[in-house]
Amino acid sequence: MAISKWRRVATAGSALLLCATLATAATSIGDAGAASKARAPKVPGVTARQVTIGATVPLTGIASSGYNQVAKAANAVFKYVDSKGGVNGRKIRYVLEDDCYGTPGFGCTGVPNTVTQTQKLLALPVFATVGSLGTPTQDLVRTLLKKNGVPQLFVNSGSSDWNDPSQYPGLFGWQPSYPVESKILAKYILSTYANQNVCFLGQGDDFGTNGLAGLVAGGVSPVVTDFYSTTSLVATNGASIAPYIQAFQNAKCTVVYLDTIPGATDAALGAALQLSYTPHWVISSVGSDPQTVAAPFKSLGVDPEVGAISFTYLPTPTSASPWIKWMYKVIQADPTDFPGFTSTSPLNGNIEYGIGFGVAFVEALKAAGKNFTRASFLKLLTHSTFTQTPSLAPLQYTPVNHQGLNAGQIDEVASATSMKAVSNTVYTTNSKNGPVTVVKRLSSGIPAWLR
Amino acid sequence: MDSFLTSRIVSDILGGLTNGAIYGLVALSLVLVWRATRVLNFAQGAMPMFATYLGMGLLSYHWPYWVCVGVSLVAAFAIGALTERVLVRPLYGKPEINPIVVMVGYLIILEAFAAAIWSTTPRSLPAPFSPIDWQLGGQPVGLSPFSLFEIVTALVVMGAIVTLFRFTRLGLQLRASALAPEVSRLLGVRVGRMLTLGWMLSTAVGAVTAILVASNFFTGLTPQLMDGIFAFGFIAAAVGGLDSPVGAVTSGIVLGVILQFVGDYLNSNAIILVALVILIVSLMVRPSGLLTRSATRRV
Amino acid sequence: MTPLARRGAAALGAFAVAVVLAVFLAPRASDAAAVVVVAVVATAAGFVGSLPRVRAERPALARAMLTVVLVDVVVFATAFLSVPTDFNLATGAGMAIVLLGLSFLTGASGQISIGNGAFMGVGAFATAIWANHHATTPIVVTLLISVAVGALFGLLLGLPATRLRGPYLAGMTLAFAVAFPAILSSFSSWTGGDSGLQLPNSATAPHWLVSLFHAGTPTLTTDTLWLTDVIMVATGVAFFFMANLFASRTGRAMRLVRDNDVAAELVGVALPRTRVIAFVISAAYAALGGALWTLLNNSVSPATYGFALSITILAVIVIGGIGTISGALIGGVVYAYSTNVIAWFVAQTGLNPQGNLASQLNGIIFGALLIVTMMFSPLGIAGTVRHLRQRRALARE
Repeated sequence: MAISKWRRVATAGSALLLCATLATAATSIGDAGAASKARAPKVPGVTARQVTIGATVPLTGIASSGYNQVAKAANAVFKYVDSKGGVNGRKIRYVLEDDCYGTPGFGCTGVPNTVTQTQKLLALPVFATVGSLGTPTQDLVRTLLKKNGVPQLFVNSGSSDWNDPSQYPGLFGWQPSYPVESKILAKYILSTYANQNVCFLGQGDDFGTNGLAGLVAGGVSPVVTDFYSTTSLVATNGASIAPYIQAFQNAKCTVVYLDTIPGATDAALGAALQLSYTPHWVISSVGSDPQTVAAPFKSLGVDPEVGAISFTYLPTPTSASPWIKWMYKVIQADPTDFPGFTSTSPLNGNIEYGIGFGVAFVEALKAAGKNFTRASFLKLLTHSTFTQTPSLAPLQYTPVNHQGLNAGQIDEVASATSMKAVSNTVYTTNSKNGPVTVVKRLSSGIPAWLR
Repeated sequence: MDSFLTSRIVSDILGGLTNGAIYGLVALSLVLVWRATRVLNFAQGAMPMFATYLGMGLLSYHWPYWVCVGVSLVAAFAIGALTERVLVRPLYGKPEINPIVVMVGYLIILEAFAAAIWSTTPRSLPAPFSPIDWQLGGQPVGLSPFSLFEIVTALVVMGAIVTLFRFTRLGLQLRASALAPEVSRLLGVRVGRMLTLGWMLSTAVGAVTAILVASNFFTGLTPQLMDGIFAFGFIAAAVGGLDSPVGAVTSGIVLGVILQFVGDYLNSNAIILVALVILIVSLMVRPSGLLTRSATRRV
Repeated sequence: MTPLARRGAAALGAFAVAVVLAVFLAPRASDAAAVVVVAVVATAAGFVGSLPRVRAERPALARAMLTVVLVDVVVFATAFLSVPTDFNLATGAGMAIVLLGLSFLTGASGQISIGNGAFMGVGAFATAIWANHHATTPIVVTLLISVAVGALFGLLLGLPATRLRGPYLAGMTLAFAVAFPAILSSFSSWTGGDSGLQLPNSATAPHWLVSLFHAGTPTLTTDTLWLTDVIMVATGVAFFFMANLFASRTGRAMRLVRDNDVAAELVGVALPRTRVIAFVISAAYAALGGALWTLLNNSVSPATYGFALSITILAVIVIGGIGTISGALIGGVVYAYSTNVIAWFVAQTGLNPQGNLASQLNGIIFGALLIVTMMFSPLGIAGTVRHLRQRRALARE
């Protein structure tokens, strides 16, 4: 009895082994062949003709809607640059591994494990990861990438975790950090809604806590602060937000600040609508995208988000920035990833974001010249100011600041599809207690070689 | 009086009744299937979700709202009947884990198909009544025309089911087929049809629920619409007793009110945790439900 | 050929292949030496384990020897695989342990749990929390602590199970799976909230391994190799214990409970106790799998341990063969490689890989496999294979 059972284990084990051995034969022979033929290139991921970079992003699964466009938009930039001969004679190969935001589920066709997917990129190898998405996901691979000496560039998240040069010299954020954003919004609140009660709802992770810290550092002390959990949000179909909004109404808050993802913004606006509660909404750029937020309210005929105040570090699609036109050109040139995108399609925040860091990378690569190493590239990155990228203010890293952008302007939800700038003044500040000041030198236009 | 009606306690009770009505309806649909065929249907949320997509999808072709609701119900009847005949019938008499696993597989496949056909982007469904709370003296009461509609619908559906079971010949046949299929068959009841009917009724009750949940204007209709609600519905059904329609709806409503208070006074992150504790404690005290007469185990 | 001769030939063949591999693949003499050690161990253990007398009179020893052979050979293979492949195999091995626990629960008591993803999360977080407070604890101790915590949670949820019949238990475990992420965020000061936790130190390969394979220079490859091998050994131990348990008196009593609980009670099996024990063991195995995943990833994220994982676990064990030991191994392989297979399939069909249909294809395939398996071959792949072999054996007679 027992033995026959055990023999089945042995059978199954040998099946497993067979798979493994086949894979061994393939990979190790392949490796050996490659190693013996050509000497390993001096810079991993870089050959005379090509730079290989990669990213882990949610192409499918729970967080994919909207976010799956970000890296593809960056890739549209790379394809556009390649069509013009590449950067210093090298084409850019951008390898995307789908990590489903680290969340398993049957809608996920990637591997819902950021570490696994990052291992695949390391095995390629890649010169650097560029624009990997998510705070929890990228937190998990910081040490792994550091250990392998692989730069982790332009992480798609506003967490302050990416700005830790002493611990992680190869790690770089791109967008303004959550506290920078909330400090600039705090300045707006203080000047426009002076002496009004402010209530705060944030996500129960560093997004919410960093945001609140910035708000307080900016001089706004909310009378009620609450944090929601994303898991409860999902399990209760958004109903878990309602008690917070009720509490805000009871506290007579006339300004409500939201550090929320779009689903939670919907739940908050919906709960307020139900209570006929109409505070001034101030919503972080993370959760304010008009198209995404407006979707569930479509049949109601009103979009409660219209009039809400938000923040942007990229030109608004309705503005006269030359970059907007360029973005349309680049995206329309990539019908594989953006089928059916025409000059009248709305340009959403996700696409702008991807183009933003995509241009930043090609600009840096161009500045790095023909011969560079990982070390020289990072040195260049921390000692230059990139004035010709789509961001409103120049992109600047220093050896002690890896956040990159730290400036932006106030905008307002104008309709269910668009934002408009409240004013064209661009403010800057730091993540700590520094003052909020006006940026004098804004980004200049599109560099000649990209036009 | 006005200040009482707009007070925190009253508004929590009213809000809890609205959520509880939904939990109660899910519990009721679980009970209907359980009574008929002794299957705990894990696809009880997904089947009506699919029917709702089929019916309410016609809204985009400008069909009138109530016609779409009707189509959803017809689709629910059809899905319920088809499921019982094709998937459930071959499983009678098999070990009890078989139907559980099949229904989990069915849940996965229905959600995947719905997402493949209609995508995971939420669809906005119009609410038939205003979702904005009534006001008294400038203060919201905690009840909107739509949430009143939800509560009334739950009570009407429960009333209709109870009437059907207690006071009609069909109801008698349904009950007899579930409790004593062999005897019923001898007495000329078409037991197979009765079991199918149980599934049809259950899916239709589910479709009513799914439409109400999806019309809740800040979520919309998604393939995963019923996942979270299903867990609460199951808790209500298990606490009330899987054999009792009235028990299921009652415990659903009580659960809704308790959890509303938990969300308001404790923390809304604790809602699920408290629900789980309620489930475990009540199952330890009375494994067959608080609101049923305890039944002997069938050998 | 007699069975003994066949076995001998197989052992010799394996030995020869190993030596050939050693000569051709090992770049340095120490590597070749390692390969020879591996081959000697495998051949010796395999020989002892397959002696007819040992198999008849000392079945536990036979199982131990076979475990040694399997683990030895798998460990040998991992040294030559690429890092992502090792990583994938180790992930599958961790999953196989979880599946084994669930398989045991159903195979031994006829119950089913839809919440084993959450128990896995209990072990995963127990490891991360412990390591963050006591960074110096040896791996083995941390793993044992996590298993104990998992067992404790199993006991807590299993106590109502003493009085519950299948569907109620399944529903209760489902509620646990749905509630688990919210429980994690309720204790965010411990669990790190939605961001999860990182381990303070990443596991590093011991010196002897580094000097064996990489001339004294520690690299990521050796670290992953080391972790993979730790997981493979843990998997071997877990399977060895389970095989013994299945064959023991307790195992037989449990199977009786599954097949006929009334009869089991009549012959003196304490029903409630047996049910709780089965449930606790399955939770402990899930926790071990989760703890190993945390070690492997060097971090833990609450998003991993949601409802979807629990459903996935149920799906792969049913496809592998619920209630069988080999089903758990097959399930582990299915888990590790299903994504690749489906991606390959999508590439063949020319669908847009991120399109609506392609991204839902795994749900459609898994859902359909679950239904078809339960309808036509409730013991999954393992059961089908066994059935075919029995038919062939009958046909021979």
